[in-house]
Amino acid sequence: MSDLQCTAVAKGFGARSVLTDVNLSVAAGSISAILGSSGSGKTTLLRIVMGFIRADSGQVRVGDVLVVDAPRTHVMPQHRGIGYVAQEGALFPHLSVGQNVGFGLPRSNRKSGDRINEVLSMVGLTSDDAARRPSELSGGEQRRVSLARALAPRPKLVLLDEPFSALDAALRVETRAAVIRALAEEGTTGVLVTHDQAEALSMGNQVSVLRHGELVQTASPRDLYQTPVDLRVAQFVGEAVVLPGRADHGMVDCALGRLQLLQPIDGPVDVMLRPEQIRVEENGAAGSSSFEAVVVTSAYFGGQTMVTLRLRNADGLAITAATSSQAPPVAGDTVRVAVHGGVMAYATSESTPPVAAEVRA
Amino acid sequence: MVGVIERRPLPRGLVAICAVVVLVTGIPIIVTIGQAASGGWGEVVHAFQGTDLAPLLLRTIGVALIATPVCGILGVAGAWFVERTQLPGGRIWALLLVAPITIPVFLTSYAWSALGTEFQGFFGAFCILAVTYYPIAFLLSSAALRGMDPALEESAMALGCGTWRVFWRVVLPQLRPSLLGGLLVVALATLVEFDAFVGIHFSTFVASIYSQYQVSFSASGAATLACVSILLCALILAIETRLRGNAAYTGVSHGSRRPPERYALGKTTPIVLIGLTALATFSVEIPVYALVRWFEQATPQSSAGAAAGIGDLIPATLTSVGLGVSAAVLTLLLALPIAVLATRYRGRTVSLLERATYLSFALPDLVAAIAFAYATSQYTGALYGNIVVLVLAYAVLFCPIAVLALRVSFGQIEPSMDESARSLGLGPIRSLLRVGLPLARPGIAAGGVLIFAFVLSDLSTTQVLLPPGMVTLGTDFWADSSTVAFGASAPFAAMLMVLAAGATYVLMSRFGKTRLTAAAA
Repeated sequence: MSDLQCTAVAKGFGARSVLTDVNLSVAAGSISAILGSSGSGKTTLLRIVMGFIRADSGQVRVGDVLVVDAPRTHVMPQHRGIGYVAQEGALFPHLSVGQNVGFGLPRSNRKSGDRINEVLSMVGLTSDDAARRPSELSGGEQRRVSLARALAPRPKLVLLDEPFSALDAALRVETRAAVIRALAEEGTTGVLVTHDQAEALSMGNQVSVLRHGELVQTASPRDLYQTPVDLRVAQFVGEAVVLPGRADHGMVDCALGRLQLLQPIDGPVDVMLRPEQIRVEENGAAGSSSFEAVVVTSAYFGGQTMVTLRLRNADGLAITAATSSQAPPVAGDTVRVAVHGGVMAYATSESTPPVAAEVRA
Repeated sequence: MVGVIERRPLPRGLVAICAVVVLVTGIPIIVTIGQAASGGWGEVVHAFQGTDLAPLLLRTIGVALIATPVCGILGVAGAWFVERTQLPGGRIWALLLVAPITIPVFLTSYAWSALGTEFQGFFGAFCILAVTYYPIAFLLSSAALRGMDPALEESAMALGCGTWRVFWRVVLPQLRPSLLGGLLVVALATLVEFDAFVGIHFSTFVASIYSQYQVSFSASGAATLACVSILLCALILAIETRLRGNAAYTGVSHGSRRPPERYALGKTTPIVLIGLTALATFSVEIPVYALVRWFEQATPQSSAGAAAGIGDLIPATLTSVGLGVSAAVLTLLLALPIAVLATRYRGRTVSLLERATYLSFALPDLVAAIAFAYATSQYTGALYGNIVVLVLAYAVLFCPIAVLALRVSFGQIEPSMDESARSLGLGPIRSLLRVGLPLARPGIAAGGVLIFAFVLSDLSTTQVLLPPGMVTLGTDFWADSSTVAFGASAPFAAMLMVLAAGATYVLMSRFGKTRLTAAAA
């Protein structure tokens, strides 16, 4: 059963089309991420589901209730029973933390404070925090209170609009974990909108990529990363190594040898694989499946090192590899590279320049 | 965190400048109290015995008590419909709702008196005060509504609140700080109002003070009675301080700069339009209509009078505009340090200094003007009868209005702007000159125009302190309307209306804005 069902949703502002034929289904109790760059229409989609703006056409169903059947039906936001966590929290500055959290509760429940304390502890705050003013909270605390406020009336569905933007990295991880925990504890379905691929992949049970107002792919984070629907999605959700090649019978020939395809295709193709699929071996033995390359640059990230290499064969084609070796190669080293795992290939189109190698923009 | 005002130590220089401003604005009060004391107990007793104080005081407080909340309701409702709903003709309504504040109140008063006898007395007084002063609440509420993060309302809706409950539980509490400031000014202005009642023969407490001068020729008697009004003002300030509390809501969330969605009025559109039309008719069209009638009624004699008087039109216009502009500049200069202090710092000293400027609203204009005349004749003989004193008197009288207008614009400039400038090596004054003032320019201009309009509207102060031989539009209008006929005063009234129309446009498009918001609008 799905908690949110969008069918053929479309929206334009004047002559400009912002959303076209969006179909999305979010399973009850799951967390779904809508991933898109700025201007992709992701916030518009969220605001249509909330009821803040009206769709031009299409339907939105929340649970069993048809809340949008554009242009005829438009249930007002206050009657949709959807929780909402705005960008930066949008806490009411004239109310204390406790009053903010109790805002959507019936008057009797507001008085007792049980539910307020319950949701506050769910997001990792205490009943002592209830008396504080929003202006006394840190950015991360503000988001948590905002989530607690949205969860308090027990909505089936909560929408989060870029909930972790403008938080520093450590706070982001911590707040993210608090959100996942709280949503799971309440059994609430969560839909978050973000431009951050790492956030979408790590939080969502399902990730939908929105591009120029169209949902181009909806998949599990793993499927989205490993088998993106096209090259642009591949490059949007992570680092990608792209090589020209020729595919037939479930295999593809390219500068890195004959590789296994994850999805069948035939003819001239662009081969896409992830940098961590390229194994870098210093002093590796020569073999049919490994190729000699020279390290051009090496960037150390702690857990991982991104290495740019120039292949000795194939006219010095440049590729990027990720290695978790604790003694990573440095610029100038000669290494051998080999690919593990299957790869994706996409028909070479006129629009895609026949680049030798491409690092995600 | 964005927009949070910390309790940081107050800069001594700024506090010292503000203290000087408070001293300057306190001149008429200090002089008046001195005058009252100079008379001795005998004079005090005589002044209170000579007037039937209680009923007049009750009537004055009564009309202020009714007019102030009505101004608040009209202003907030108007601002809500113009800023947040899909009201047809939004900009035109904004103009009509701002206009009454720029129309000289004595014009309004004469216009209402011409309507008929039912508008004489308490009801007429209430109507004139309500339609004259609600634009203050309208301007402040509009600015506050524009500055509000739309995500607040959306969050409230997501939590199950309908439009009305969102308004009561989220929007109105956000408006409270700026609205209370506006209503404070309205309450004080209505208590000491005199010009508004010149046409309708409504006697207030202030009228009894004036009669102490005109009938009893007793300056100390008038000053004694004026002390009652100072006490009243202090009481209102105390009430407002309690009501406002520490509620200076700096947004914790500025969200995106997305313009808010406007609510559809749907079936209520005609009702709202009828209500707004009625308001515009009462507040704008009655004075304009009266003006047209005065032109029509011009008899041959009064036309001759008008022809003779029209020679005064150009010098009177020049004097009025000159006085308005110089008073606006001086008032803004006085108000600037107070506004900076009030928007950037918190604490007892800050609220004390800020509220103290409102005390200049405690005195009826005439009393304040006479205090200035007295002070200059006693201590600075050279300045006696100099036009500079009149400009200073205007600046002192209208300082609270300028503080209000500047605070709205400065309040929207995030502290991070100043902090960035400081980090780039600018001192506090240069940061204000290069960042704060340029950003707040539209709001500052609107504040100046508001003062300009108040100067044009003023009659009492001008009549007392205007150097002999000089005329303004207001004094000429008044002289003609009381001696010859309304017809002769029509050209002056018309010129005042033209200037008012210009002021209205600037106020509507600039009040409470910064260059960031003005560009977005």
